[in-house]
Amino acid sequence: MSKLKFHWAFLLIAAFIPAISPHFAELLRPIFVMAILALGLNILTGFTGILNLGVAAFMAVGAYSYAILTCDIYPFQLNFGCATGTTVLIGLLAGLALGLPTIRLRGDYLAIVTLGFGEIVQDTLKNLDVITKGTQGINPLPPPPFSVYYLFLAFLTLVVLLNRNLQRSRIGRTWIAIREDELAASCMGINPMKMKLLAFSLGAAQCALAGALWASYLGSSGEPGNYDFQVSIIALCIVIVGGMGNIAGVLLGALVVMGFNSIVLETLTNFLKSHQIISSSNVFTAPGNWKYLLFGLALILMMRFRPEGLLPSKQTKAELHHHEPPKN
Amino acid sequence: MSLLKIDRLTMRFGGLVAVDAVTLDIAPNEIVSLIGPNGAGKTTVFNAVTGVYEPTAGKIIFNGHETRRELTGKTALAFSLVGFITAVVAVILANLETVWEAAVTGNYTYRQPFPWTKALASAQETLTGHWLVPALSGLFVGVTGAWAVWERSRRAPEIAARAGIARTFQNIRLFNQMTVLDNVLLGMDTHLRTRFWDAALRLPLFWRERKHSTGKALETLRFVGLEHEAGQLAENLAYGHQRRLEIARALAMNPKIILLDEPAAGLNPAESKALMDLIQRIRQRGITVLLIEHDMQVVMNISDRVIVLDYGAKIAEGDPATVRANPAVIEAYLGKSDARA
Repeated sequence: MSKLKFHWAFLLIAAFIPAISPHFAELLRPIFVMAILALGLNILTGFTGILNLGVAAFMAVGAYSYAILTCDIYPFQLNFGCATGTTVLIGLLAGLALGLPTIRLRGDYLAIVTLGFGEIVQDTLKNLDVITKGTQGINPLPPPPFSVYYLFLAFLTLVVLLNRNLQRSRIGRTWIAIREDELAASCMGINPMKMKLLAFSLGAAQCALAGALWASYLGSSGEPGNYDFQVSIIALCIVIVGGMGNIAGVLLGALVVMGFNSIVLETLTNFLKSHQIISSSNVFTAPGNWKYLLFGLALILMMRFRPEGLLPSKQTKAELHHHEPPKN
Repeated sequence: MSLLKIDRLTMRFGGLVAVDAVTLDIAPNEIVSLIGPNGAGKTTVFNAVTGVYEPTAGKIIFNGHETRRELTGKTALAFSLVGFITAVVAVILANLETVWEAAVTGNYTYRQPFPWTKALASAQETLTGHWLVPALSGLFVGVTGAWAVWERSRRAPEIAARAGIARTFQNIRLFNQMTVLDNVLLGMDTHLRTRFWDAALRLPLFWRERKHSTGKALETLRFVGLEHEAGQLAENLAYGHQRRLEIARALAMNPKIILLDEPAAGLNPAESKALMDLIQRIRQRGITVLLIEHDMQVVMNISDRVIVLDYGAKIAEGDPATVRANPAVIEAYLGKSDARA
């Protein structure tokens, strides 16, 4: 029970951040989007044990679908709610379309397929310029109906609740069992392919939602290059740094990784530049340009010293305290 | 009437014949032991019965049916549905740019109302003559793909499990990072009715079933004597308890037959005795038991019937006393006696 209150306290703090520090609230918005993306990946990598290296592609599908559905250079011009709903559905179908023929592949082979899918989606978006406007991106999009910060916070809360509910039900239990031992799970009568496919399309739908929110925040679909392999790797970083399979861990991971990226490095670079410690003409000295090296280093160090992440998923007795066996 | 009938089962791995035309017949509510020297093919028989392996030849008939997916009208309908969807997707993808240009770009003027019917007509017009080839190839790919996938998954472990065959493993395969209770709950998963939306929105069915299934799981744990370990992670259990938990997980499936692969391996004499008692109680529940065992104390004490395999072939069958005296069995275990000695 106390754990639940703890969560609500966090939500309350988050609700008051814009009043306390508008600047910090502004920085938090992209972090919320990345948190949703990483939670989508967490269903796959954290719960089910499927490595997906192409989540950026599903984000791109979401962003472009949302852009096409809302932008006034196209005839659809749906409102925010309908467009987001349709986008989530499209993401679900995209996940299903990729998953159906490939979900039987094992481990690394499936990772390679998702990696390839990421590249295919980018190239398709670049070359299908009749519909996607090529590298220009689709813009301008109408702004979201109300405060972006609260909107994103609401969506993040919804996604967290959905993931938590699924995790603590027979569905989450089955996913984790498949991760632990697929053969044993199937000998219990579970159809691993069906459950993996569910995880795959659900994860894809959440990534598409992240894409839709991202597009509405930018006011543009962004260009296809915005959804490259690096975005997928950052999402994976968030999941691994935070703690695979633990929702609170993924949220913390998003805060740490994205915060490091957009707050610490940015501030440091500006500080060094303004005090003329580094010259802006030399790209090698700016800390901001070292971020992928630092992410890579962080991943290696995490895997070596704390592979379970900052907040590891713990399935301990705590969860069971309210249905302890009767003593007789 | 027999519950499980294995008819001339042969399993070949490359050049190795692991199981050679073995025929077994297990009656309901029997306790049957499968024994034999190492490498005789006992576990291979288990794997074939539970659908882990596809038999090279022979039939496995459980409860009057072969344990494989049936080709029903529903399956055929699913094939045609997959084929139809693939066909539609193929048509869309093959003509995406031209249709979009004709229907959307051609009819839409900036900020003017969009003439939907006219757009549909132009789309139809563009598609004329361009839809047949992609539609047919999409249909072909969809139907054959769906059929191929289905054919390969006809004999899968989950089919045997759903028919009522439960098993344990020689080298324990628990879900180590899950609690003891969750392991048992996973065993009864096929009997739960909570669907996606019940779980996602926590509808009443979710709460009701959670309470009910937890109670049932604890009852199963009590049956094997692990009720006080319910909250532990499975990997933290003592070895003997892990063996018991595997049996509990299999029992939670509410099976008709349970296949135990060396349940007494690594147990001390007191634990083996408790295990024999547990197996007897499982039988009293109306569950048939087929076990592989090396511990002859256990085999001779509890079995109604003993079947001996050697080099993949059945060499003896009968009640424990007869089998123990059978010269072929003694030879398989101890080797041929040397006449000159």
